[in-house]
Amino acid sequence: MTTKQTPSAARQVGRFLPALLLVALTTLGLFFLRDQLSPATKSLIYMLVTLIVAVWLGTGPSVLAAVAGFFAINFFFVEPYYTLDIAATRDLLSLLIYLAAALIAGRLAAYAQQQAAAAGLTAAQQAILYDLTSALNPLTEPEPIRAELRRVLVERMGAEQVDFLPRSDGPSDGPADGPTGVPAAARPRDPAGNAAFVLLEAGDAVYGTARVVFPAAPAASQHRLLLACAGQAALALQRADLTAQVARNRTLAEADRLKTAILRAVSHDLRTPITIIKTSAANLNELGERLSAGDRRELARAIETQADKLDWLVGNLLDLSRLQAGAVVLHRELNSLEEIAGEVAARAFAAHHAERITLDFPDDLPLARFDYGLMVQALDNIVDNALRHEPGDLRVIIRGRVTSDEARVEVINHGPSIAPEEREKLMLPFRQSREGRSLHGDVGLGLAIARGILEAHHGDIRVEDTPGGGATFVLTLPQDTKDEIRDTSLEGSGLASRRTTGVVSYLESDPPEEPE
Amino acid sequence: MIILVVDDESQIRKLLVTGLGGYGHEVITAATVEQALTLGAQGKPDLVVLDINLGQGADGLEVCRRLREWSRVPIIMLSVRNDETTKVQALDAGADDYLTKPFGMEELRARIQAVVRRVVVEPGGAAESVIRVGALEIDLVNRRVFVGGEEVHFTRQEYDILRLLATHAGKIMTHQVILRAVWGPEYADMTHYVRIYVNQIRKKLRENPAAGVRYILNEPGIGYRFVDVGTTDDGRPATDARD
Repeated sequence: MTTKQTPSAARQVGRFLPALLLVALTTLGLFFLRDQLSPATKSLIYMLVTLIVAVWLGTGPSVLAAVAGFFAINFFFVEPYYTLDIAATRDLLSLLIYLAAALIAGRLAAYAQQQAAAAGLTAAQQAILYDLTSALNPLTEPEPIRAELRRVLVERMGAEQVDFLPRSDGPSDGPADGPTGVPAAARPRDPAGNAAFVLLEAGDAVYGTARVVFPAAPAASQHRLLLACAGQAALALQRADLTAQVARNRTLAEADRLKTAILRAVSHDLRTPITIIKTSAANLNELGERLSAGDRRELARAIETQADKLDWLVGNLLDLSRLQAGAVVLHRELNSLEEIAGEVAARAFAAHHAERITLDFPDDLPLARFDYGLMVQALDNIVDNALRHEPGDLRVIIRGRVTSDEARVEVINHGPSIAPEEREKLMLPFRQSREGRSLHGDVGLGLAIARGILEAHHGDIRVEDTPGGGATFVLTLPQDTKDEIRDTSLEGSGLASRRTTGVVSYLESDPPEEPE
Repeated sequence: MIILVVDDESQIRKLLVTGLGGYGHEVITAATVEQALTLGAQGKPDLVVLDINLGQGADGLEVCRRLREWSRVPIIMLSVRNDETTKVQALDAGADDYLTKPFGMEELRARIQAVVRRVVVEPGGAAESVIRVGALEIDLVNRRVFVGGEEVHFTRQEYDILRLLATHAGKIMTHQVILRAVWGPEYADMTHYVRIYVNQIRKKLRENPAAGVRYILNEPGIGYRFVDVGTTDDGRPATDARD
C-alpha cells in the first residue's frame, strides 16, 4: 500500500539526512570505544541503528544506514584502519553478513511500520464511514442525503468542493438502467486533475454523479474511501426512492378504494335521477297532449330538480377526486370569514325562504388567509348538514373568531348529539347513512369534501358537543404568522398590524400610505 | 329583440332558440368564430350570448374581443363551472356578464334583461340622482346614504366604492376596477383593501344575509356586484342564486 504522496526533494533530504547523521554519531561514539568492543558487538550496534532508522524513516533511509554502516565499520573498525581494504577474509565475511542482515531487517521493520500505519488509516476511514452512515440513516429525502454526503466529504475528508451532476440520460432523482459516463463538459474545468468523479450507484440504479475537488490529487486510499462514502449515499438515495414509491402506492391504493366506492355510489345515486328524468321526459313526449297542464308542469319540474341533483352530485364527485388527488390549486388570499358566512347564510335563506341562521362575528374580526370559493363550499356543506338536523324553531349559529395563529369558524347545531365514535365516520365519503341520503339525495360527500378543503388548507374539522345538546362543527385554519410579517413589509403601512386591533380607526383616515 | 347565440354544441343552440324564442325574441345562431363574426355584423343583433369555448380552447374570448373592436352590443358569456381566471378574462375582453353552465332559462332571461337595461341607462351616466334598493337610499347629488330612513356616515373611500357598485347594479366590478377607481392604478394589487372596506360598508348598510338582506354580492376571485334592482318585483334586494 502506497501511503505517502509523491515526496518532494526537500522531504527526501529530510528523511535521509537523519539516517546519515545517526550513523555518523554512532561511529563517533564507537570510535572512542574501539578497543573495548569486539567487532561482532559493533556490527550489532550498527544493526540496531539500521532497525531504528527503518522503523522511524522507512525503507530507503534504512538501506542508506545499512550501507553507510558497512563502510563505517570497514573504514574505522576493520584493520587496516582508515582504508577500505580488508585484511582478513573472516572480517570480510562478517561485514557482508552484517550488510545482508541489516538490509533484510531494515526492510522488514519498514514493512511492519507501513502495515501499522495502514491499519491506523483504516480505523480513521471507518470512523468517517460510520459518521456518514449514521447521519444518513434517518434521512428519507434525496436532497438532505446529498447535503450530508457533501458535509462529510468537506468536513472529514478535506474536499474543497462537491457538486452533484444529474444523470446524463434523464432526471437526477430516480434509478437508471445502467451507469452513465461522466459529463464531458465537467472535465475541462479541472485541469489540475484534483477532482474525482464518483457514480452514486446502488445495485443497478444510478442516482447521479458526484464531482469532488480536493486540494491535491487524491491518493488511492482516499479514493477508496470516497467510493465507499458514495456507495453509502447511493444506498440511502435508493432507500429514499423506495420509500417514495411505497407512499405513491399507498395513494394509488386509496384512490382505488375511492374509485370502487364511487362506482358503488354511481350505480345507485346517479341512476336514480337519470331514471326519473328519462321517464318524465318520455311521458311528456308521448302523453304530452293528453296530460293536464298541471301534470305537465309537474313532470317538467321533476326533470329540472333531478337534473340539479345530478349536477350537484357530479360536481361534488369531481371536487372530491380533485381534492384527493391533490390537484386543487389554492388561491389563498386575505379574505373575510364573515363574508363567507354571509354568503352561506344568504344561500340558506334562498333555499329555505326563512331565517334559519344566526351570524355571530365580532366587529373587528381581522382578515384570514384562505381560498374564498373553496371555503364557501366547505362551510356551505357543513351548514347544510347542520340545518338538516336543526329543530324547526331554533337557528344554527355560525360563529367566527381569529387569533394570532388560527382562524376558527364554529357551526353550532341544536339537534341530536353525535356519539364520539360516530364523529370520525361522519367525514368519510359515501358513508351509508339513511337519513342523510333520503333528505338530500347525497351519498355523504358534503362533509368529506368540507374536510378535504380544510385539509388542503392544512386546517381541520372536528365535531364537539353543543352545550345543551347538538353537534358543533369546529373548522380551524392555521394562520401563518410569517404570512403576516410578509404582508406588513409589503404594504409598508400600518394596515396589517391594525387588522388585529380593529380596522375602524384605520378606515376613518385617508388613503393607505404608498406601498413599498 | 334579435339575439345571436354562439355555441359549438347544436343541442345547446337548439335549446336556446326554443327557450329565448319562448320569451318572444328572434334568435340567430352561429357555431364557429367566423360565423359569429359575420352574423355579429350582418345580423345586427341586440345582444350576444357567447360560449367561451367554441371547440378550440377559449376562442369565444377572441370573438368577444373582435366584436368589441367596433360594436357595443351587450355580450353575455357562457362558461363551464367555476373558473375565475376565465371569467376575469371574459370581463377583460369586454363581456358584460357571464353565466355558468348549467343554468336555468329563467336565470338567463333575468341576466339578459339586466344587461340590456344597463346598456340603455349607461350612456348618459347615472340616469337617476337617487338610487333606492330595499331599505337603502343613496343620494348621488349630495353624497348621502340613508338606511331605513336614517342617515349613515360613510368615509370618502367607502362612499366611492358604494357609488361605483350601485351605479353599475348587476354588473361585476373587478377588484382591480374598484382599486383603480377609488385609490388609483398604483393600488391595483391591494385586493384585501377592498375586502376590508366592503366588509365595513356591509355593516353600515345593515346587511342581514341570514334574512336575505344583501346589497353587495361577492364574485369569488373576481370582484363584487351590486344587487340588481330590476330582477325582483317586491322591492326587496335580490338574493343571489347559486352559480
